Amino acid sequence: MSATVTAAPSAGLLDAAAAALAARLARITVEVRGRGREASAGAPVGSGVVWHPDGLILTNAHVARGDVSVVLADGRVRSARLVARDVEHDLAALVVDATSLPAAEIGDSSALRVGELVLAVGNPLGLVRALSAGLVHALDRRFIQADLRLAPGNSGGPLADARGCVVGLNAMIVGGLAVAVPSREAQRFVRAQLRG
Amino acid sequence: MEALLSLSNDLAGAVEHAAPAIVAVHARRRLPSTGIHWRPGIIVTADHTVSMEDDITVTASDGRSLPATLAGRDPGTDLAVLRVPEMGSAAATLGDDAALKVGHMVLALGFGPRASWGVVSAVGPRWRSPRGGDIDRLVRLDLVLYPGFSGGPLVDAAGRVVGLNSSGLARESRLAVPVTTVSRVADELLRKGHVSRGYLGLAMQPVRLPEPLRAQLGLTSDVGLIVVTVQPDGPAARAGVLLGDVLVALDGTPVSDLEDVQGRLGSERIGTVVTVGVVRAGGRAEVRITVGEQPRRRAG
Repeated sequence: MSATVTAAPSAGLLDAAAAALAARLARITVEVRGRGREASAGAPVGSGVVWHPDGLILTNAHVARGDVSVVLADGRVRSARLVARDVEHDLAALVVDATSLPAAEIGDSSALRVGELVLAVGNPLGLVRALSAGLVHALDRRFIQADLRLAPGNSGGPLADARGCVVGLNAMIVGGLAVAVPSREAQRFVRAQLRG
Repeated sequence: MEALLSLSNDLAGAVEHAAPAIVAVHARRRLPSTGIHWRPGIIVTADHTVSMEDDITVTASDGRSLPATLAGRDPGTDLAVLRVPEMGSAAATLGDDAALKVGHMVLALGFGPRASWGVVSAVGPRWRSPRGGDIDRLVRLDLVLYPGFSGGPLVDAAGRVVGLNSSGLARESRLAVPVTTVSRVADELLRKGHVSRGYLGLAMQPVRLPEPLRAQLGLTSDVGLIVVTVQPDGPAARAGVLLGDVLVALDGTPVSDLEDVQGRLGSERIGTVVTVGVVRAGGRAEVRITVGEQPRRRAG
């Protein structure tokens, strides 16, 4: 009971940094739900990332097959219009009627290195904004593979680097690995689909 | 955020530091396994991933496909050593497994490179693998060994190799062979092509000992090992062990399973005398056997 505890200062800093990052990521993560009647939302189907403060939300194409509802980080429920969908890259763009939303800082997925820390936030198993931590397992041309435990509700949620910048959208679990669509692909999708 | 970023950079740096010494080993039909460039021209990998002994190739981290010859293998420690003369000089930086502590952050790496992150979950003293291998230190890991990761390096946060990962060493699948053991066994394999083990020249199987017999002879275990084959002119045959003898003790200590016997016949016992307690014709007998050396199972 009276043992002297010598805390390693670096570990304390690490904890504080991870907690701060988790809070920041939770603010840009939304829960995607089925389309409910009026303001009430349907069953949870996945997660999404606020890409632009004026209501642009990105998620996976397999999460948003039509118009949906989203639960914003502050708890507000909004109906969301599906404005673009790319099944090949598993991306979908939703627009909600909102302004000044906390939006993601987008990182450079092409600069990722194997072994880098990555964090995922989502709504797996009905949990609200659960955090998973891991690292970049491997990089191939199309996807980021991460050594990180995901659950189905993570789909469409952010994969972020140690700076808190979003480098991908979690899309699949393959052989225990998290597979994410790189942010570079998401940016290309946004540019191509939403020009003008 | 600085602390997290610096950890992230360290981990990515560790992967980059270790990656040039990581190869893919093509010695089985399915998925290639991983190997470590241990010292110039020498690759170590997990023995259980080597199913062919000829026409082995390795893929170096720069993509070159290079022919390899099997220098030796030891199922006991699950290690195999390959000679790859064209490897060049970018061998692994070896760390110190004695410094490993529970909670240390480590990476398991596969060819690619691919990475898996976790911690050392337990360390322990010298132990015997189920196949009789002498492992200098127990290193248990809390991380995922993905398919193809066996034979690859376990590295510390500085990218130094502290072990070789193996899912085939024991039933507990996430273990590493510490660098001390890898170096020792690799040396022996390069010198002799195999690892010496004590040998009695017996095949045995467990057999139940009836209660009255146990009571009569004062045996504590209810299982003994019945001799089903005596290798002609082997160490046990020369000492007078007979077919049907039931082995119950080695040097006065009860034995009841084969792994136990094998575990107590390491290379240090070769040439020494072991006193074997047997049940023969309803009575106790003791036979003194001079331990021989296990003949090589395969040529080449």
